[in-house]
Amino acid sequence: MQTRLEKLFKLFIGLLTVLAVAVLGFVIFFIVKEALPLFKEVSLGDFLLGTRWLPIAYAGEATFGIFNFIAATLVVSFLAMIIAAFAGIGAAIFLSCVASEKARSLLYPFIDLLAGIPSVIYGFIGLVVLVRLFMKAGVHTGSCVMAAAILLSIMLLPYIISSCSETILKAKQRYLASSNAMGISSWYGIAHVVLPASWGNIMLSMILAIGRAMGETMAVMMVIGNANLFPRLFGKSETIAAVIALEMGTAEAGSLHYHALYAAGLVLIIMLLLINALIGALRAKLIKEA
Amino acid sequence: MAGNKGMFTKLWAYISFTLVIGVIILLFVYVFVNGADAITIEFITQAPRGAILGMEGGIWPAIAGSFCFTTLAVILGGIPAIASALYIVFYCRSAKLERLFHTVIRCISGIPSIVLGLFAYSFLVRELQWGRCILSSGVALGIMILPFIEVRAEKTFRELPKAVVLSSYALGCSRRYTVMRIVLPACRGELISGLILGGCYAMGATAPLIFTGGVAYAGVPKSLMSPAMALPLHLYLLLAQGATSFNMAYGTAFVMMAIILISNILVTIYASRSQAKWNA
Repeated sequence: MQTRLEKLFKLFIGLLTVLAVAVLGFVIFFIVKEALPLFKEVSLGDFLLGTRWLPIAYAGEATFGIFNFIAATLVVSFLAMIIAAFAGIGAAIFLSCVASEKARSLLYPFIDLLAGIPSVIYGFIGLVVLVRLFMKAGVHTGSCVMAAAILLSIMLLPYIISSCSETILKAKQRYLASSNAMGISSWYGIAHVVLPASWGNIMLSMILAIGRAMGETMAVMMVIGNANLFPRLFGKSETIAAVIALEMGTAEAGSLHYHALYAAGLVLIIMLLLINALIGALRAKLIKEA
Repeated sequence: MAGNKGMFTKLWAYISFTLVIGVIILLFVYVFVNGADAITIEFITQAPRGAILGMEGGIWPAIAGSFCFTTLAVILGGIPAIASALYIVFYCRSAKLERLFHTVIRCISGIPSIVLGLFAYSFLVRELQWGRCILSSGVALGIMILPFIEVRAEKTFRELPKAVVLSSYALGCSRRYTVMRIVLPACRGELISGLILGGCYAMGATAPLIFTGGVAYAGVPKSLMSPAMALPLHLYLLLAQGATSFNMAYGTAFVMMAIILISNILVTIYASRSQAKWNA
């Protein structure tokens, strides 16, 4: 009796695990399957490097080139990471080196609030605050790559802060006591011993943050202006995720346009996988060096 | 000279910390101050109306719809997430299987939510003919939050002191008994916070709803197969209409921010209390 229950329980959670993996695997399979038909008509090179995106053949032929979208996705994410790195690493230093244990346990959940705010609210605030500011500053219509990057950087903060402060805290526990014992000031020790020791892992969190930023849809879409242009700091542009969100509703099912949107989604996923692979390789190197 | 870098680091830490805290307070205060005017009993309890939808009336169907989407997502995503975390931590003996599982989880957590929406639209709405309904969106949202909950659950299980689990085995308790009577009760606080935060994540997601089950106007949903309104989508559509109903948009944002704030406070209190109980 007892062993039968035992087996049943194992079977139950085993099945749920298989189900989870199967469903998730199927999602990936399905996206690949829907993306592939595009490449019968459009060559991979034209798709990735072309800059003309005319999905409906009003006049002449439909063309599918997502180079500008890829560039915009990368530029916006990279900029956002740079901005978030400045404030995020600084705040992580504060949390791990200044704040007490008790203050930390209150401040972490407070900062995590940022991760809970829905992206559409970020987009909304970006629209009524940031875009207006940029408009006053002379940017035509106010929607621009910079506005999207600033907005995204706020969304990245909680992830950067939590992973960096974890890293810095570990390094501090390892080295700061001995550095203090040498008679140098705490802040000197933090700047010259603790931070250099954490640098590798901080880099990893930054790369991870770029990956996170690339998939963001709504907030970016609402402030970037959505025009197929090569991204310039104060110009409009459009990210891959935004193209999918804006055009899927009007793409005829099964048409080339529809497959092209899936292919764009696949490109986004492959970019994320490459970033993950890069992180894996760097982490292995870091561990070897340590 | 030698102290410069130290001073610079100190300054950097203080300035950025102030900046981050300032931004958080600003975001909440901005929404709460601007949205407070719109919050009335009618706004919470009535359906949107007006020549341009949403100019008048309230957001009750969107609140009800968001509640349905979120609950369904937490059930569909949460149960497999926790079960598979249990399996991987306490049952799985093969390192290969574990690696495969983690790869798949990482892949899915990397998929942008809009692509999951795309999947749900093509496969569930069209191929399986479910139509645009709460169920289609619920599955998309469930897939979206599954990795989120799984990663948290697995971390909690692994952080449980090994001695506790091993002592239980040593006393002759079976795996099932250990999991049900020791592991799950000990991790309850963390698991529930994971589910609630996953729910917040699902509630705030707009992108997966656009094609799958969220609509501009619907009554309070009656079944899983009917489409529904949702708070984030409603906010997005109000904004997309232009500046006709900004007041209502602020009100909708107010309600969402309030839900997020309250859930986070509850989770923090609950987690700290269950932590204290564990340590005692």
